[in-house]
Amino acid sequence: MNALYLIAIGLGTAFLLGLLNEQRRDLAYTLTLGALTMMSAISASWLVVFVATGAGAVDIFTAGTRPPFAINLRMGLTEATLTLLINLTGLFAAIHMGEVLLAKGRRAMAVLLIAIMALCGIVLTRDIFNLFVFFELIVIATGGLVLLSDDEHAVSAGFKYLIVSQFISILLLIGIIFGYHATGTLNIDGMAAIGAGGFALAFFLIFIAIVAELKPFPANGWALDIYESAHPGFSAVFSAATGSAALFALDKILAIGGPAWYPVATAIGIVTFVGANLLALPQTNDRRLLGYSSIAQTGLILTVIGQQDILGNQYLFIAGGLLFAHAVAKAGLFWLSDFVAQRELTAWASLKERPLLVFAFVTFAAMLSGLPPFPGFYAKWELVHALAAADRLALLGWILFGALVEAGYLFRWFGYLIKRESDEKVACTAPQVIPVAAAVLAGWALGFVWGDLSGRSNLLLVLPLLFALGFLLIEWAPAWAKNLLAIGGLSFYLLQTWQDYDPLRLIFLVIFTLGGAIIFLASFHAHGRRIGFYPSAMLMFAGLVLLIQATDSFGFFAAWELLTVGSYFLILRGKESEPHALSYIVFSLGGAFLILTAFALANAVSPAPTFEIAALATLAQPVAPWVFLLLALGFMTKTAAIGLHIWLPGAHAEAETDVSPMVSGILLKAGLYGLFVLLMSMGRQSLYGVDLVNMLLWIGALTALLGNLMAIFQEDAKRLLAYSSIGQMGYALFGLALMNHLGWLMALMFVINHYVYKSMLFLSVGGVAKRTGTRAMYRMGGLITLMPLSFIATLIGIIAMSGVPPLSGFGGRWIFYNAIMDAETRLPMVLIFLSGPIAFLYLFRLIHTIFLGQLKDEHRRIKEAPASIVLPQMIYVAILMGVALFPGLILRRVDAYISQFLPDGALNWDGLTITSQYGWWNPVAIMIVVACIFLLIFGWLLFVNRKAQKVKQFNIVFSAERPYRPETTHFAWNFFAPYKKAMGFLVQPFVTRFWGAVTDLLHTAGDLGRRLYNGNGQIYAFHFLAFVVVVFAFKAGL
Amino acid sequence: MAYLAMATGFLLILIGFYGALTNRNLLRMIVAFTIADTGVNIVIVAIGYMRGRTAPILDSTVSAAAAVQRIIDPVPQALVLTAIVIGLGVTALMLAYAYKLYEKKRTLDIARFTELKG
Amino acid sequence: MDFDWMKIPYAFLTVFIVVNYGFLMGALIQKIGARAGRRHGIPIWQYYLDVIKNYGLRSSITHGVMFYLGPVFRLSGGVGLLLFMPVIYGSYMFSNFSFAGDLILALYFVFFGTLGMALGAGESGHPHAAIGVTRGLQQVSMAELPFAMAVFSVALQYQTLSMTDIVAAQQGGLANWTLFTNPIAVAAAMLAFLGSMMRPPFDVFIAPQEIPIGPPTEYHSSYLALMQTNRAIFPVAKIVIYMNLFFGGAGSWPELFVKVFFLYLFSAFVGVCFPRFRVEQSVRFFLVWGVPLGILSIMVV
Repeated sequence: MNALYLIAIGLGTAFLLGLLNEQRRDLAYTLTLGALTMMSAISASWLVVFVATGAGAVDIFTAGTRPPFAINLRMGLTEATLTLLINLTGLFAAIHMGEVLLAKGRRAMAVLLIAIMALCGIVLTRDIFNLFVFFELIVIATGGLVLLSDDEHAVSAGFKYLIVSQFISILLLIGIIFGYHATGTLNIDGMAAIGAGGFALAFFLIFIAIVAELKPFPANGWALDIYESAHPGFSAVFSAATGSAALFALDKILAIGGPAWYPVATAIGIVTFVGANLLALPQTNDRRLLGYSSIAQTGLILTVIGQQDILGNQYLFIAGGLLFAHAVAKAGLFWLSDFVAQRELTAWASLKERPLLVFAFVTFAAMLSGLPPFPGFYAKWELVHALAAADRLALLGWILFGALVEAGYLFRWFGYLIKRESDEKVACTAPQVIPVAAAVLAGWALGFVWGDLSGRSNLLLVLPLLFALGFLLIEWAPAWAKNLLAIGGLSFYLLQTWQDYDPLRLIFLVIFTLGGAIIFLASFHAHGRRIGFYPSAMLMFAGLVLLIQATDSFGFFAAWELLTVGSYFLILRGKESEPHALSYIVFSLGGAFLILTAFALANAVSPAPTFEIAALATLAQPVAPWVFLLLALGFMTKTAAIGLHIWLPGAHAEAETDVSPMVSGILLKAGLYGLFVLLMSMGRQSLYGVDLVNMLLWIGALTALLGNLMAIFQEDAKRLLAYSSIGQMGYALFGLALMNHLGWLMALMFVINHYVYKSMLFLSVGGVAKRTGTRAMYRMGGLITLMPLSFIATLIGIIAMSGVPPLSGFGGRWIFYNAIMDAETRLPMVLIFLSGPIAFLYLFRLIHTIFLGQLKDEHRRIKEAPASIVLPQMIYVAILMGVALFPGLILRRVDAYISQFLPDGALNWDGLTITSQYGWWNPVAIMIVVACIFLLIFGWLLFVNRKAQKVKQFNIVFSAERPYRPETTHFAWNFFAPYKKAMGFLVQPFVTRFWGAVTDLLHTAGDLGRRLYNGNGQIYAFHFLAFVVVVFAFKAGL
Repeated sequence: MAYLAMATGFLLILIGFYGALTNRNLLRMIVAFTIADTGVNIVIVAIGYMRGRTAPILDSTVSAAAAVQRIIDPVPQALVLTAIVIGLGVTALMLAYAYKLYEKKRTLDIARFTELKG
Repeated sequence: MDFDWMKIPYAFLTVFIVVNYGFLMGALIQKIGARAGRRHGIPIWQYYLDVIKNYGLRSSITHGVMFYLGPVFRLSGGVGLLLFMPVIYGSYMFSNFSFAGDLILALYFVFFGTLGMALGAGESGHPHAAIGVTRGLQQVSMAELPFAMAVFSVALQYQTLSMTDIVAAQQGGLANWTLFTNPIAVAAAMLAFLGSMMRPPFDVFIAPQEIPIGPPTEYHSSYLALMQTNRAIFPVAKIVIYMNLFFGGAGSWPELFVKVFFLYLFSAFVGVCFPRFRVEQSVRFFLVWGVPLGILSIMVV
């Protein structure tokens, strides 16, 4: 069907509506919807034709003459897609605003049709004056549609918009006429053929006017008011459709200006992206925040438009991916905002009662943040690679910074939604739900399409991810059934794939799958449906197994993001975890961006369509150390190395009972896996003479020390374990950075041991916390007789962890000592030596203050933790015993595998004795000897002390008094006070303060920026003119 | 002559801009914009003007064949017509807005409508 | 080296010798300490009397399983430590179970008894027990640091973690002792030694004179007897580590007796000369004096 019908139907129906009887509102509304549906169908049919046939663009001539004597329109793949987007947005906006439109009558509908028609016109026309006319139509239509809102401030917002639009149109018109004067044509292609060289000033006016339609930062106060006050149904159009059309218009006229104008577009784009995101940070009004975010996204796409010279044939893929992710998500969010009664971000908490709406929000937020599997993810990947390849690293850095800020406020918002309280009820009607549902579907569909177009693996076809997403479909099922399925899925995956991997990867895979399955056993304690848990958890596990599976950088990064997102949702489920989950996701995404940059840099110097991880080994100076540094930093955000650790304690401590072991015992290993891969492939690197591996060694040692030191001062049992994880990861990092055979073996042993004992301890402490209702250790005490199995698990756990023979922790220490004998640097060992005994302190505190000492009155009747929580602990006890006796079962294979990389220093596993070049160790003999001595003495004691009587709790005397209150008798609070006096200076929260200061700085910057927007429309006009002058000066200075 | 018209046009635009930026009264701002619009229209027409030629009307005095040498460029004049229409529409819309704003607050001072900001 | 059944009677013999020696030496040192304080002191067989009496007491109570097992852990720790080491250099008879592990095993097995004891005392519910344990742990955590570094230094020096090999390397004259070949490490280790011998100035966690504090607070009768037995074995075993690492080891029992005695006397000597530190003071002391020495010993070796 001729594309002119897009214009004709819109315009014609609008006129027709004018002829209708004012009372026939239903008919008018039906006509409007029909017209919009028709227009969408026309766009869709064109799109199908272009996709199916691969045909080129079609020119449509009017007035029977060719340009420049008549206006022509062009319909191509891009135009078809964009008009489809615009028309569908219009259609769904009309559905969404049905009530208002019916109330206001046919005129409002006509204006909406005109607006959509004009937007299509902007996309289709190739005539610059025609473009001006359509823009003016948009201005008038917007002026009308803004008034649909019942917000009383919409009127002033509309007027401010009109003021600035006047300036814009005057500049545009002058530009056009002088352009015409210089070229003798109004046809854009005709002007482009001549070039803007002859009329630079006129072109500047055209350019700046169209840029102004994009609401560039900071000349955009008027637009923000519209976003805030207009009806959300229209704001969606204003954001998704108007923005897209204006971007396309800019792309068209840039053809006239040519590459000389790309830097200007880039500069405006990036300033807008970063600035608007910064200013969005302190926003509390949801729609204004969405407005800022819209502006920021537009800025990002403008940046991409400015970078088209390096993007080559990826240009449309990238710009389109970003544009559609933005348009669909933003429209969806605006529509969603109608379900929320109040305008504070925290009011969105009312949505949490509706899982489907939460899912919609998640979809939109993920799309905006560029997370897999949505189009923005693929686009971001290609964009970053292109920028790195062209060596535009500063721009790359700013883009990632802006994206991080954006993800920060979006996820903060999501945290409010999930965690805050709200009394409001969500009332949704079908017309309100349909557009949101359509946006969600469109989001996933676009994810699929972009995955398909990407030429890389389509994430929505990847089995583990599909399995995880499948849990969304069975959310109605009871938790135990889903739990069985989860365990089954993980085990099945392991059974299916274990032959494919080398011993090292296999160990990680076993921990990720079988380890996950064991922890899932504890999840049987949950009742009901436990909505949201399984999709999140399985998303994390899908990411984890995909990480092992990945051989190229894309797969690796996608897996990394998936596991990050999944674990974020998991962590957020904890009661008080809102701020911690936020800092987790921000740090993780920051780390992920570093990884992305590193891969992009690596790919830039060794170009290949897919960059194999193994190819990291082939990198040379000067890029290699930078890649190494970025990757190491990225991975260390996950292992919570000191300085990047502040997210961990809260995230792990506040998580649910079975989530804590997942995120601690399993998730942290993802970072270690990354470091393993990094060090195996890249080896030693040095930057400006600094040996980076040596730096890692220091960081590892410092992390081990400070993590342990902070752990001993915790009153909260789970926080203690969380800090202890930081320390343990420090050990593992240290072992890796030793870069010798035994160091790696030790790190691997930590991987296994830490999984086992930390999962076990988190479960047993979690069980205790569940029963006692508190995590503060000083409020517990004396639980040994009431919760004996939890006690045994804790006991075994702390013996193993402290490295005391005969349990498995000792093996780790023994390998550690042998490893450091070979090390080249010795000083960091000092820190490790110190942290070992400190670990002892917190372990003793853990077991003593919970299980020993005085039982509190309120706990006298509590029972052992639920069987489902105890069962995995007992499995872990068995595993620990097994590993303690026969470490060789696992380690000797890895030992042999490591020999490929570091042949020197392998252990000798003959017989039961494990021998290194310095010493030996026979776990079975140790166990037997210790057991014999112990039993002998125990027997002797039993013999001489056979009549021992059990006495009651307070049968003790001190200070000549017999105590009767457990609270005052249980020594638990401020357990290590002297240590605090002596060593407290080491655990001042410097790092927390540092990151706090960074956050404050960003917020302050945002707040300062907000003062620009004082609400006065005249001032906004000044902003615009000042913006014009600045851009002109910038262009002149180029 | 054309240059004079063009200079006048630009002068009017500048006056309009100045007026719109310095007057806080909504109506005065709207008037300022109409002045600026007029200035733009004059500029457009001035651009199309060619010395010594006649109006672009094909009739008995100007044949179609000779038109290219005889008439001035008709396009700017067409554009001006469109621009005038659009300018009228926008002005009407702004006046309607001004009316609504006045209805609400009984003032026409732009600086009073600053509830939305930041 | 490997296991054979004859090692079991030999092990018993080793323990027997060490227990007797430990009783006598402990009493002797205590007597010396008393004389330094112008008191008469205990008779030399006092420890035998105490132990026999305590094993003989039949009035006994228990606070629970861990409480009951605490002294068992404690004594197992002492005996195990002794038996995991080659006590007499070159003697198959007294090499005991050193085939099970090297120096690292001995170092880490030290904590076995400590941990068990701490847990047992904790179950008594007596706050002083817990206070004593925490104080002890805090002090030891820092006191061990110079020792760990000294051990690392010595291991680097001899390029082995085998105690026998370290002793072997020191044979052939006084000048070959680590004391003279690596004096900084020995200095660091001897500071740590003071910290771990439960004598002033580093004995606040056991505080025997003023109030009963520390793990033994609630232990009595046969529990206490087990702990006293351990107190005969454990210091000797511990000193044997020092002796082997730094003072040339011992080729025969008399040599061992003499060396252990003088090492023990060293801590007693310091103990009678200096007042007691609070915990944070001793932590700072080791941080300021012990740690730099340890670092130095690692760096120069």
